[in-house]
Amino acid sequence: MSIISVLIPIAVLFVILGLAIFFWAVKSRQFDDLDKEAFSILFDEKQQKPEATSPKKDDDHPL
Amino acid sequence: MTKAVVQSCFHCNDPVPERSSFVLDFDGQQRHFCCPGCEAVAQSIISQGLGDYYRFRTAPANKATPLPEKLQQQLQSYDNADVLGDLTTKDGQWQQVELSISGMSCAACAWLIEKQLKQHPAVASASVNSSTSRCALRFDPNQTPLSTLLKGIAELGYQASPFIADNEEQHYQQEMRAYLKRLAVSGIMSMQVMMLAFGLYFGEYTGIEQQYEGYLRWISLLLTLPVMVFAAAPFSQSAWRALKAKELNMDVPIVLALYYTFLASVYATLSHSGEVYFESVCMFVFLLQLGKFFEFRARKQARDATSNLLKVMPVSAWLWDGQQATATSARRLTPGALILVKAGETIPADGIIQSGQSSTDESMLTGEYRAIAKQPGDAVLAGSVNHDGVLVVQVQKALTESRLGQIILLQQQTLHQKPQLLEKTDKIARFFVQRLLVIATLTFAVWYFFIDADRAFWVTLSVLVATCPCALSLATPTAITCALARLNRKGILIKNQQVLEVLPKLNRVFFDKTGTLTQGRFSVRHFRLHQSPYSAQELTNLIANLEAYSEHPIARAFSGLLHSQLQLSDVELQVGAGLSALWQPQSGAAPVRVKVGSAAFCQQAQTQAQVYCTIDGILAASVELSDALRPETRTLMQSLKNLHIQSSIITGDSSAQAEEVAASLGVQQLWKSCTPEQKVEHIQNAVAAGDTVLMVGDGINDSPSFHAAHVSVALDSGTDLSKNQADVVLLHNDLSLLSELIAGAKLAKKVVRQNLLWAVGYNLVIIPLAVCGFVSPYVAVIGMSFSSLLVVSNSLRLLKQ
Repeated sequence: MSIISVLIPIAVLFVILGLAIFFWAVKSRQFDDLDKEAFSILFDEKQQKPEATSPKKDDDHPL
Repeated sequence: MTKAVVQSCFHCNDPVPERSSFVLDFDGQQRHFCCPGCEAVAQSIISQGLGDYYRFRTAPANKATPLPEKLQQQLQSYDNADVLGDLTTKDGQWQQVELSISGMSCAACAWLIEKQLKQHPAVASASVNSSTSRCALRFDPNQTPLSTLLKGIAELGYQASPFIADNEEQHYQQEMRAYLKRLAVSGIMSMQVMMLAFGLYFGEYTGIEQQYEGYLRWISLLLTLPVMVFAAAPFSQSAWRALKAKELNMDVPIVLALYYTFLASVYATLSHSGEVYFESVCMFVFLLQLGKFFEFRARKQARDATSNLLKVMPVSAWLWDGQQATATSARRLTPGALILVKAGETIPADGIIQSGQSSTDESMLTGEYRAIAKQPGDAVLAGSVNHDGVLVVQVQKALTESRLGQIILLQQQTLHQKPQLLEKTDKIARFFVQRLLVIATLTFAVWYFFIDADRAFWVTLSVLVATCPCALSLATPTAITCALARLNRKGILIKNQQVLEVLPKLNRVFFDKTGTLTQGRFSVRHFRLHQSPYSAQELTNLIANLEAYSEHPIARAFSGLLHSQLQLSDVELQVGAGLSALWQPQSGAAPVRVKVGSAAFCQQAQTQAQVYCTIDGILAASVELSDALRPETRTLMQSLKNLHIQSSIITGDSSAQAEEVAASLGVQQLWKSCTPEQKVEHIQNAVAAGDTVLMVGDGINDSPSFHAAHVSVALDSGTDLSKNQADVVLLHNDLSLLSELIAGAKLAKKVVRQNLLWAVGYNLVIIPLAVCGFVSPYVAVIGMSFSSLLVVSNSLRLLKQ
């Protein structure tokens, strides 16, 4: 039974870590627009192919 | 598959007219388009390598209209250093500007615009938010001017205009993030504490060593602490504010129950006695936060959507020195300055025409729907639109003192005169909370002194928990939020939630005429065919092709009739009279001279018609135009009558058309030639007479009266100002949505009443039981949660159908 006195604090630490990451995500505006990001994955993957054959101007955009 | 493609436009999904000739190749297939605008947009999207848009989008685009050349010139005024300085902030070598973009229909649009902007080397970063239709843009104006970037967006079929976000909006953004954080803390902690609570509950039945019980309780206490301190902070603050003002609100009993339960559990933990209820505390906070969060989000979405409409008013003006026009900011114009107003532009200041001839559209300021002819010496008003000629105007008053400025001022003054209604839930809360506190105190006193001093503490706890007005405080906001979402889906945007409480009581509606009951623009009433070898359809198409060269309001009546592009050459436009061009009916045939315009221009006898078309001097067709009633008005009037709601028309127009409209709709009450001030007065009289009043309008001159009425409704086709000021905006340009709105409000009221009945009824049953000590705190928690869930699910019913 004494194992829980070790495991529970570890679990609590993980919870705190998770919350910290969530707070960071909120602060860096990741939750402002949930729709667009879901799309960008779809588009950018497709974008790879034409770029390989004909490199275009739009790969120099800074992030 | 191919059949469907033939029938609907590849770009906007509108039906394609039968004889259309707008076709493009994409992905090895022929794609058909409904109009030249859509074709041009698709052409530029595909040629820029952004065809992925069509492969992945989830909603069709809006119908595209080609950017008029006049507007392109107007865009250039954004490049002026003064104007740019007003709109942007400097960030090192980059200029930062916020754009509001209209015409976005799905997230793929956001991607499309972002991608296109980033192709410009001058753009440092561009981020488009698809839920708010905003774009944050950082760019170098020395490399690429703003107008080029805006034009690029326009080529994709969207209209972007610079936008200045106000402080309130920033505040909303921060509040939204704070909500997310509080939800995360209370939600995640609830899960943890509930997990531990499971251990404790099982320990109750199977036996648990005291040291482990104490350990689990301590951990729960630690995990609950951030929920109490951080996530529940808004409730504590609100309750504290109310108490300081010697008032009671819904948050007082909530906070009382929260802290009482929490402190009781802390006491139990410290003294190794009784029970702990940390998981209930966390869950309370989470549920309450969730309800508030949804309410806030609905409010924010409505606000974002309408604040996008508040574009910067006539931003730029052309200063005229006799030879040359230089762009300047309209706000910097001083009386006496000479300005040049090009065709299609909004006049930036009140003034007197020095030279030039044109007609202007003042319908938004006065309600007059016909274009007014202007000559040197005539006065023009800021905010009206110059139709077809170039004018040189001497400024009389600066923008803030102009008629437009005065109307805006009047509207700000009326803002505080809005008839106030006390929120129903607040009234109930005050009544309820007082009695609750008295009952809890009495319970404690009676148990402590007369029955069982040991149990007094726990019985009072169950009284407080069982009666915690969680369900009561969720009853109204959840129902209202769901009703808002439901109406929003139908194209009704509600900015002021009180509207839903007021609408069921509505008994009087005031309608503006021009642009509200009527379409506010000319449309073809009668097309008469004279001697001509061509069919009526061929002729309308020919007229539409020719009129596409003009910006005149009469020309716009034909814009929907364009079926296929014709080759016209030698097009000549005569301001205020008409157009003429050479047209080749068949290849190889001799070109004919086509004239479209007024009777005098076409050298024909004046009849009822306003537009004549001659081919080689022979009259081919004549067209009668009128400002037609909206088709749905008749059924709307009938349904209002069935609801016993009185309708009145209140218009600034002085023409006989007002009576015609009133007679054909069966409206008894009509006020015409009203100034904005008189409109406000008429409505205030009705409010003073005890009526619940709704005002529907679209113009700048209607916006002051919006605040005088209980509820105001603006149409999508209305001016930006009216849409920004109204409580409700109809997004579909369809007046019949008004009856939807009233029906929706009635439904919402019904659900709110059901919720309140349940919440109050449940409390009435549980209070006597709890006071007598039959309800253990643990049962009280289950009862409270169940009743909250019931209320929320009842509200969610509104989202169905």
